[in-house]
Amino acid sequence: MNNSFNFNRFWLLVKRQWLEFGKIYLISLLVITGAIIAFYFYALPEPDLHTTNLSSVYQHNNDGYVNLNFRLPLFLTLGFMFISIIASGYFSLLGQKSKAIIELMTPASTLEKWLCGVFYTSILSVFSFLLIFYLTDMLFVNYLQKIVGQISYTITSDMRSAPETVVLSVKPFFIDFFDRQEMQSLVLFPFVITSVFLLGSAYFSRFHYIKTAVVVMLFCTALIYTMIKVAGWLTFNKVQDSANFGFRSHSGEMLGYVLIGTALITLFFWTVTFFRVKEKEV
Amino acid sequence: MITINNLNFGYSKHNLLFKDMSMQLSAGHIYGLLGKNGAGKSSLLKNIAGLVYAQSGSLKVMGFDPAKREPELLADICFIPEEFYLPSIKIDAYIKANAPFYKKFDYAYLNVLLEEFNIPISNKLVNMSYGQKKKFIIAFGLATQAKLVIMDEPTNGLDIPSKAQFRKVMASALTDDRCIVISTHQVRDLDNLIDTVIMLDESTISLKASIEEITQKLTFKKMKELDETVIYAEPALSGYNVVVPNFHQEDSKMDIELLFNAVIAEKKKLKPIFN
Repeated sequence: MNNSFNFNRFWLLVKRQWLEFGKIYLISLLVITGAIIAFYFYALPEPDLHTTNLSSVYQHNNDGYVNLNFRLPLFLTLGFMFISIIASGYFSLLGQKSKAIIELMTPASTLEKWLCGVFYTSILSVFSFLLIFYLTDMLFVNYLQKIVGQISYTITSDMRSAPETVVLSVKPFFIDFFDRQEMQSLVLFPFVITSVFLLGSAYFSRFHYIKTAVVVMLFCTALIYTMIKVAGWLTFNKVQDSANFGFRSHSGEMLGYVLIGTALITLFFWTVTFFRVKEKEV
Repeated sequence: MITINNLNFGYSKHNLLFKDMSMQLSAGHIYGLLGKNGAGKSSLLKNIAGLVYAQSGSLKVMGFDPAKREPELLADICFIPEEFYLPSIKIDAYIKANAPFYKKFDYAYLNVLLEEFNIPISNKLVNMSYGQKKKFIIAFGLATQAKLVIMDEPTNGLDIPSKAQFRKVMASALTDDRCIVISTHQVRDLDNLIDTVIMLDESTISLKASIEEITQKLTFKKMKELDETVIYAEPALSGYNVVVPNFHQEDSKMDIELLFNAVIAEKKKLKPIFN
């Protein structure tokens, strides 16, 4: 018997954890799905029936895409809440003596128990949220597309040789999301969030979510403050304002740094969580 | 099966619960771990199960270090804690999810035990009483066929008929390759069940002896008047219940409660007898 990792044992553990964790997960998923649908119903643009200009019935950008600006904050807020709550609950049972004994005495290695935690909190929760958001968005996009797809208008400008007819349309959220370059760098950010809250669930015995949130907030505040102070101390009266010393940041290079940085932070928190679970005493 | 050498353990470095504790436990025995509240019975069991880590010393269970929590060892340990948690699912779902972790799990034996304890398999765990839940985890634990069975206050919450059922089941569960350690402060519950007594007091093992050895060296009887041979006495109807050295190889039945009180009260007198 391999005492570190055995796929059969890992799969048994995944199935066993589902009995307990699955309920919380499914209830949370149901609540979040309801919340997304409710927000879409509430925030979906209403036609302005008083306007005489047909193209202005729905607010849209220059390319003819209807403005659905509520989607990004909705996606970020609900996404953060869902994945952080799920991750914060996973190892919380280790804080309760009776549950911790059953968990630690289950014949599986610490690696398998930890991997199971990573699977549920970082893989399943993140991808199920993305799927739910994608499906809900597609549902509403198709519905709206059927209405606005019949509205067209003509653009004339000095830039165009001839007048151009544009049909209003609706852009799916994820296409819109990845069109924004700054958002691409956030691709691994959900894993940072889940890894931090997973660590919090293993580290604290009670009030895991609040305590993790407070610690992260204090740490980030201290880090930002220190960075501003150190940068100020290093560069004050030494650098000419608005000077460009030949440094050019390529967006691809920056994206790479951010992705590597977030991946390393995630790995760090996962590693600390592993050792925390390994050293857990009852 | 269990080898403990110079174990030092405490919840704080300055206040050790065990100091240089050493002992060996073998297969084929039912050990009764006795001690006052706070003597460290549960902590010793947790050390053996790898749920807490000792400050120093060595502890081996079936050749493994329990602190490493290796699956091979965990599959051979059945730990029945005093406080336990069972999920809100049906018994058959619990068995389906947990039994496959134990390669030697005996489903037929589990059914026999559940029948013995009068627990229907269709029951939902959350709807059962504390005593029924306890009987269920005892049945499940024994069906794992684990070589080491550790029970912390197993009779707490059991009614009188259930305690008798428990004794019957445990007596039949002992095999040559199995070691059973039962900790309790309700010493009467272990009457006629254990074959070796381990008593913890003041950070150490104050007594570790088989029932045979105890009854060879001590006599438990009633006396009308006390004499100088009496090690320990308790007033009783028409005289005293006493513990005296067994100078004349008398046959007597060990009174576990009397022995317990004697060890606590007269440690110095008893120590030379068992050394």
